[in-house]
Amino acid sequence: MQADAYATGWQPRALSLAAGAALWEVAARLAPTSFLPPFSAVIAALVTMIQQGAILANLAVSLGNLALGFAGAVAVGLAAGIAMSRFRRLAMVGEPYLTAFLTAPSLVYVPVLFTIFGATRLTQIGSVFLHAVFVIATTTLAGLRERRPGLEAMAASFGATDRQIFWKVRWPSAQPPVMNGLRVGVLLAVKGMINGEMFIAFTGLGALVRIYGGRFEADKVLAIILVVVVVALLCALAVDALERRRPSIGWRA
Amino acid sequence: MIEIAACRKAFLDPGTRTSAPVLDGVDLTVRDHEFVCVLGPSGCGKTTLLRILAGLVRPDSGSVAINGRPVTGPGPDRGMVFQDFALLPWADVVANISFGLELRGVGRGEREARAQALIHAVGLGGFEHHFPPQLSGGMQQRVGLARALAIEPEILLMDEPFGALDSQTRRGLQEDLLALHAGNRKTVVFVTHSVDEAVRLGDRIVLLTSRPARVEEIVSVDLPRPRPLDVAALPRFVALKEHLWARLRRQAHGRSEGDAG
Amino acid sequence: MARLNARSIGWHAGTAVTIGLLWEAAARAADSLLVPPASATLAALWRLLAHTEFWTALWVSNQALLVGLPAAAAAGIVVGLALGRWPALARWCDPHVHILLVAPKIAFIPLVIMALGLGLLSRATVVAAFAFPIIAVTVQSGVRSVDPRLVDMARAFCAREAQIWRRVLLPGARPAIATALRLGLARAIAGMVSVELTLVAVGLGQLVLRFRADFDAASLYAAVLVVVAEAVLLVRLATLLEHRLGSSSPMAVAE
Repeated sequence: MQADAYATGWQPRALSLAAGAALWEVAARLAPTSFLPPFSAVIAALVTMIQQGAILANLAVSLGNLALGFAGAVAVGLAAGIAMSRFRRLAMVGEPYLTAFLTAPSLVYVPVLFTIFGATRLTQIGSVFLHAVFVIATTTLAGLRERRPGLEAMAASFGATDRQIFWKVRWPSAQPPVMNGLRVGVLLAVKGMINGEMFIAFTGLGALVRIYGGRFEADKVLAIILVVVVVALLCALAVDALERRRPSIGWRA
Repeated sequence: MIEIAACRKAFLDPGTRTSAPVLDGVDLTVRDHEFVCVLGPSGCGKTTLLRILAGLVRPDSGSVAINGRPVTGPGPDRGMVFQDFALLPWADVVANISFGLELRGVGRGEREARAQALIHAVGLGGFEHHFPPQLSGGMQQRVGLARALAIEPEILLMDEPFGALDSQTRRGLQEDLLALHAGNRKTVVFVTHSVDEAVRLGDRIVLLTSRPARVEEIVSVDLPRPRPLDVAALPRFVALKEHLWARLRRQAHGRSEGDAG
Repeated sequence: MARLNARSIGWHAGTAVTIGLLWEAAARAADSLLVPPASATLAALWRLLAHTEFWTALWVSNQALLVGLPAAAAAGIVVGLALGRWPALARWCDPHVHILLVAPKIAFIPLVIMALGLGLLSRATVVAAFAFPIIAVTVQSGVRSVDPRLVDMARAFCAREAQIWRRVLLPGARPAIATALRLGLARAIAGMVSVELTLVAVGLGQLVLRFRADFDAASLYAAVLVVVAEAVLLVRLATLLEHRLGSSSPMAVAE
């Protein structure tokens, strides 16, 4: 779906977003409510917050949580997926837990993290980690499970060892699902970042949402949501760019 | 020199859990520099025989030896070309051709040099950095051929390599293969179900029976080398073709009579 | 999932026991007030299940699910069908739906409370907001996956719009609709939990927050286990339903 939405170039999308913003502005002015201020008011609030310095500091904290948590999720997720594809027993016993943790609402892990790490950034980073790691592990395992016996036989005929077959045939072959997992994973990581920061609301963008939300300042809340959406979209674009840059990663059958 | 003696192989059918014999005592000797075509009805076990030669499959009984040494697995003395090309879709032409060299740890500079030479030899100049999905079937198989040649094997094993191509492309590749063979005189074992192709290319044709396969007949192809472009018009060509077709037809009838009986 | 025979059950049981023992040992070694050993968690779980207060909380939480998910499903399916059928409409709406999909819905909770207060309606709205985007997007892609030549064929036989829907698009999109509902269910549960853990402390969320305030970590872990179990159970049921609905679709059979 991601590739679909971005297939047609950015101009028509920018145009429809502009139209949407215009619609929002008109509707909010015609029927003013406390909970949906006009688009212009949200932008004004964003500018004010930037000038006051609140947003940039918390954005830095949030991005730090995101980067550390996601990096950990990628490392552990890929390793777990590879390990489970290699050791069938491990996959057999591990998969039910993997599925269960993937299915459950990840926010519910945050109170548990809190009991271990307290009201610290470790809880927030752990939230990012736990939101993303299960998806990455699952898609990596699924990608490696799709075997291409023709290519593996070809490599064997050239005398490739099992290890060479894995890294030169099976791993590249699994890249499309793995990349998908990273794309979905990064968006879940952003959710985890906000979830963790809204639950342990002492720093980060989520904390701001909690604070301004508690004061019913809808324009500020929407402004922060805009910032988070931009962060999420940039992350997804980064994964796409990674996929395109090297054909060895970004090929599609 | 390849020596196959009394080679037997059966596969376990996972559905019915019965053992289905595929090769039932195949005897074959291939001399150095010979171009041998293995011909037989579809499904008779030709590919299995080739995979045994490649070292990908072990026979149940009998012996397979190359230059006196038994075959226990794949080796640098044999290069294989596949019917479905088996190119790595995420690697470009140069990377695909040098795949075997890369596995062996050959340095990048030398890999690229050898790949470049072969690219020109098989007529793919200008396509070095194209990817398989961007290439036609014929071009992809040229890459496959170059890849097999890159490791400088003594023996080329070719598994119906032109079967997936249209007739015009196939003819072009056959002629190119003949030209290459005239130049390097490698030993070639070429599996095909096309009588025309077998007579066009081979020094000898090994005709297999239908499953379970044995050697029915070995036909020497006494046509001039290098093969002229209009070899198919020669009376000897036509006679050989008709002879092989007659044997194949008799096999098919024998099979269907056996079923009806 | 893999076959469940005696040996695999043995492995699963063995793993569970091993995890439990490791957890027990680690927690005892850490000896922290806030990290309960497995034994304490299981005891707390037992107490929890025996308490009517728990079941009341469970019911209160799930009310939001029962109201919000069907609403999201109805809206999501309608929007998804429309976006899939009319690409011109989709071109305008896709970026906005995509933003909805990517935006953290939990951050909208304060706004929903401002609009609708603290009652069931706002919780149900949050649940619906969590589930709606994924349902719409999945249904949209399901409609688009129906071979357009079939629609052309139907029009060549003078089918009216309603007939195209009934004979071609809806049967073709049925597997995707089933998948959309399963995905929507998972998101809806996340919404149910999110609103209770952040701003509207009722139901299970309230229990979790209370256990946190009381430093009753064992009961907190037990409550979390319950939420995980409910999610796994419901989504598993939805998956079974999805396979039944999906596999008997004419498109799947035709393949």
